Amino acid sequence: MSGTTTTGSATPAGAKQEGSTRRTRRRARRAERIRDAGGQLPTRSLVLRYILLLVVFAICIGPFLWQLSTSLKGTTEDIYTFPPRWFPSHPTLGNYDKVAQIIPVWDYALNSLKVAASNVVTNVIGSSMAGYALARLRFKGRKLAGVAFVMAMLVPLESIMIAQFTTMRELHLNNTLIAVVLPGCIGAMNVLLMRNAFANLPYEIEEAAIIDGANVWQRFLRVALPSVKGTIAVVAIFAFMGAWDDFLWPLIVLSDTSKFTLTVGLNYLNGTFNTNPRVVAAGTIIAVLPLIVMFACLQRFFFRGVGEGAVKG
Amino acid sequence: MARRPSATRTHAASSPWLFLLPGLVVTAAFSLYPFVSTVWKSFTDARTLSAGTWVGLQNFTDMVHDDQFWTGLRNSLLYVVCVVPFTVMLPLLLAMLVRRYVPGISFFRAAFYTPVVASVVVVGLIWVWMLDDRGLVNGMLHAVGAGPVHFLSNQWLLLFSAMALTVWKGLGYYMIIYLAALANVPNELHEAAQMDGAGAIRRFTTVTVPAIRGTMALVGALSSVAAFKVFSEIYLLAGPSGGPGGEDTSLVMLVQRTGTGLTGRTGYASAISVVIFVITLLLMLLVLRLDRKDKE
Amino acid sequence: MPFSGKLAIRTAIGLGAVASLTALTACGSGGSDSSSSSSGKITGQISFQTWNLRAGYKDYFTGLIKDFEKQHPGAKVKWIDQPADNYAEKLSSDASAGTLPDVVNVSPDLSSPLAKAGVLLNLDKDPVAAKYKAQYTDAAWKGDAIPGQDGTYSFPWYLNTGPMFYNKTLFKQAGLDANKPPKTYDELFQDANKIATNSHGKIATLAGTPTIEDFGQYGVQLMSADGTKFTYNSAKGVQLLTQYKKLYDNGGLDSQALTSTPDQKGQKFKEQKVAMNPGSAYNLQDFKENAPSLYKNLGISNVPNNTGHQNMYVQSLGVSKTAKNKATAVAFAAFVTNQKNQEAFAHKVTVFPSTKGSLDKPYWSKEDGTDEGRVRVASAKQLKTAINYTPPVMTDEMKTVLQQEIAKCMQGKESPKQALDNAVAQSNKLLQQG
Repeated sequence: MSGTTTTGSATPAGAKQEGSTRRTRRRARRAERIRDAGGQLPTRSLVLRYILLLVVFAICIGPFLWQLSTSLKGTTEDIYTFPPRWFPSHPTLGNYDKVAQIIPVWDYALNSLKVAASNVVTNVIGSSMAGYALARLRFKGRKLAGVAFVMAMLVPLESIMIAQFTTMRELHLNNTLIAVVLPGCIGAMNVLLMRNAFANLPYEIEEAAIIDGANVWQRFLRVALPSVKGTIAVVAIFAFMGAWDDFLWPLIVLSDTSKFTLTVGLNYLNGTFNTNPRVVAAGTIIAVLPLIVMFACLQRFFFRGVGEGAVKG
Repeated sequence: MARRPSATRTHAASSPWLFLLPGLVVTAAFSLYPFVSTVWKSFTDARTLSAGTWVGLQNFTDMVHDDQFWTGLRNSLLYVVCVVPFTVMLPLLLAMLVRRYVPGISFFRAAFYTPVVASVVVVGLIWVWMLDDRGLVNGMLHAVGAGPVHFLSNQWLLLFSAMALTVWKGLGYYMIIYLAALANVPNELHEAAQMDGAGAIRRFTTVTVPAIRGTMALVGALSSVAAFKVFSEIYLLAGPSGGPGGEDTSLVMLVQRTGTGLTGRTGYASAISVVIFVITLLLMLLVLRLDRKDKE
Repeated sequence: MPFSGKLAIRTAIGLGAVASLTALTACGSGGSDSSSSSSGKITGQISFQTWNLRAGYKDYFTGLIKDFEKQHPGAKVKWIDQPADNYAEKLSSDASAGTLPDVVNVSPDLSSPLAKAGVLLNLDKDPVAAKYKAQYTDAAWKGDAIPGQDGTYSFPWYLNTGPMFYNKTLFKQAGLDANKPPKTYDELFQDANKIATNSHGKIATLAGTPTIEDFGQYGVQLMSADGTKFTYNSAKGVQLLTQYKKLYDNGGLDSQALTSTPDQKGQKFKEQKVAMNPGSAYNLQDFKENAPSLYKNLGISNVPNNTGHQNMYVQSLGVSKTAKNKATAVAFAAFVTNQKNQEAFAHKVTVFPSTKGSLDKPYWSKEDGTDEGRVRVASAKQLKTAINYTPPVMTDEMKTVLQQEIAKCMQGKESPKQALDNAVAQSNKLLQQG
């Protein structure tokens, strides 16, 4: 792992004080980058790093590129040639158009967005609260509560799906988007991720707040939460992805075609009699893009220094 | 479990439960409570469309005499043993690689995440293409005068190919858990180590690994549970019948095969689900126990 | 993520909440139905569920519903269409929770367990429904009867059968006459072995091992007359499997034949990796669009069979026993499957109507010079005597058992006789448990 760890003189993390404006924060981040990328990294190791990045890139991106390429191929192009052709000979966006003709993509995407966004909000709030209690508070029954979450994570989802469906019917929630969100709205795995993140925080960071007389909610909101932004971003990504990708549960619990989520709706593209793989590929690209964008937006949270928002003063 | 100074209680006795309330309610209502009915059904001969009657341990004794169950158990356990070391280490190395800023890094980071979100079916299709007797990999082997290797028709090669697929798809997933954890390793520790003249590898083993050991344990636990419950990867490469003669069937595939559809044997499938639950619980406890031992 | 075709990943595990179902069946079979009778007035709202037809045929169905609502003022049809994957899971959760749609698209393997659970209306016993019997061919009506169940539980809808497609280029490459495709199973094995030998094992003829339909078309008695036992391990069954084993050893089957799914077999054929694959009339369109280089060299022939009866696939419409407006539900199901509407649908989709006299119409009896027309007429002719070989009581699990045992035979781990004996024994055990 030559040179993979950050070197050089760190800008004191505390420099980024609370109340710093967005601009100064951005400037600080830029400074951090420059520091990171700076001349301290020898050319040889930089080249090596890019070679490694490119190798992993080639391994990772293949299927995605192939999907993209298929989705851009016209109807006259043979897509079953061997070896597969990576570049469409007559690139066209017609397949994306066709997806929109076959299913109301925007309506379905909106449903998915509602479900995924709610799932992010409930998971971030619910699992950070639970995770904080499990990691930082002492109380009787803590172990038991922890075990409950571990067990919940291990329950084979498929085996309880019909029971969940019956519950939703009894709550008169079947065929609603709420029913789609509810079972996964505070994922046990996310609780454990948050617990782990809070547990890894140095104990000192809360001590100052305790001395200042902050109560437990203040400590949670003002001190602990800002220190685990990275993990919150992970939970948000997982929650979004989980809700966005879920197929079986929304299929079971929804019956109105108009309420379908995107993943369920895109399944219509696999026709009973004829399937156009190009249109299916276009559909999968439509489904995947928001996830990649979501990742691209949230990834910066993973790369901030520990100091930011954590140990203050 | 991280150890910390035993702080005096600085909160009202009720607060922890207020923090836990939403999570516990959802978990109890939508996971644990329904699972109770699965456990109950494992003692009945229920089918998808009939409630069935109490049959005691019949399903469990049937299981012991079911060759497919033992094949499934063997494959699922083998999966854990072979896959977990890679899913713990490779994503960590990947996270270290992309952590540092170099021009264009955001692009690479997003690219490394695409296998996680790519459609399973498309991924399966591509892998089948690559591993086909006349596919990409065999083409390359042929060029150097080797092969063909029958990745997709040999029972063991199929299983190993599925494992490779699992590791590949998990790279980006576990990478981001590591990234979040690495962000919490204070730079000062590295600097101190560097001043002491520690090389990169030394710093990795003496600074990075100890600092994120808890996360490694968590990733180990999560990925062993996921590996034990493997389904899609084998299903895609080896087909719904679980490879030639069913030799690549995993336990979850068996649950799917026996329990799905309108004629599913709910009782039997529930019994296998209960076994899966117990084994994954043991796996999880084992990994966390190992972690604790390491620390002491 | 959307999944292709029948490749249903993570199919739900139907570990059901069954309490509600018991209540449901109790009231369903008790005679004193809370729901209305079918002889009432045709009015009120019903729900109608199709399986994955919305994408291609939305206009057809909305038009159909409009027509029906016009004919029966006061009646209202709510159309639901389920996407491709996990249809059985959707049906089982709805049946368990008592929310099965009033008119529902089923195939025999789906209607059989639903009928057994007592959630479908027995059309033979229903005075109104039985009246419509005359609009279908006798074979189709009987085809919807379920062995071991007294009566018919669904209105016959569209049928399908198809030709055998073959790749002329591969035939020529292997030194065979591309215009003389095999007609019988014996010729098929002969040609396939020749292709394998001449190409030194490079060209495989078939992409899969035999399925239960193959055993049926080969002339093997699949089940005992009373439908309580599987019998495909007879001498004839062993004979078929022995032939396949020889072919496999010769390299006449694709290397992934032991595990392939129907989708994968089609894929292999489109990639021109195997020389033959059975298909349907609508595949022609698929080949034309997606595999044009194959389409140029496509040969079309009959699926070899020893019985004189081609295999066919059947779709039908069942009526929920608990439908609130049963009269409307029955009337609508009969309306969708009447001659005029079935023929109109079959024109659109290249499937075939199950109504009396339809297949004698020129569209299905006179060729128009196109490939499509030729395949259509040939298929329609076969359909008149075709049989749905797949026993409705044969579950997916039993089909998997068969595939696994055949694979063991191909690998030489079991003799053909042993393999089929094992498969039959396991399937019979499963059948008895049900």
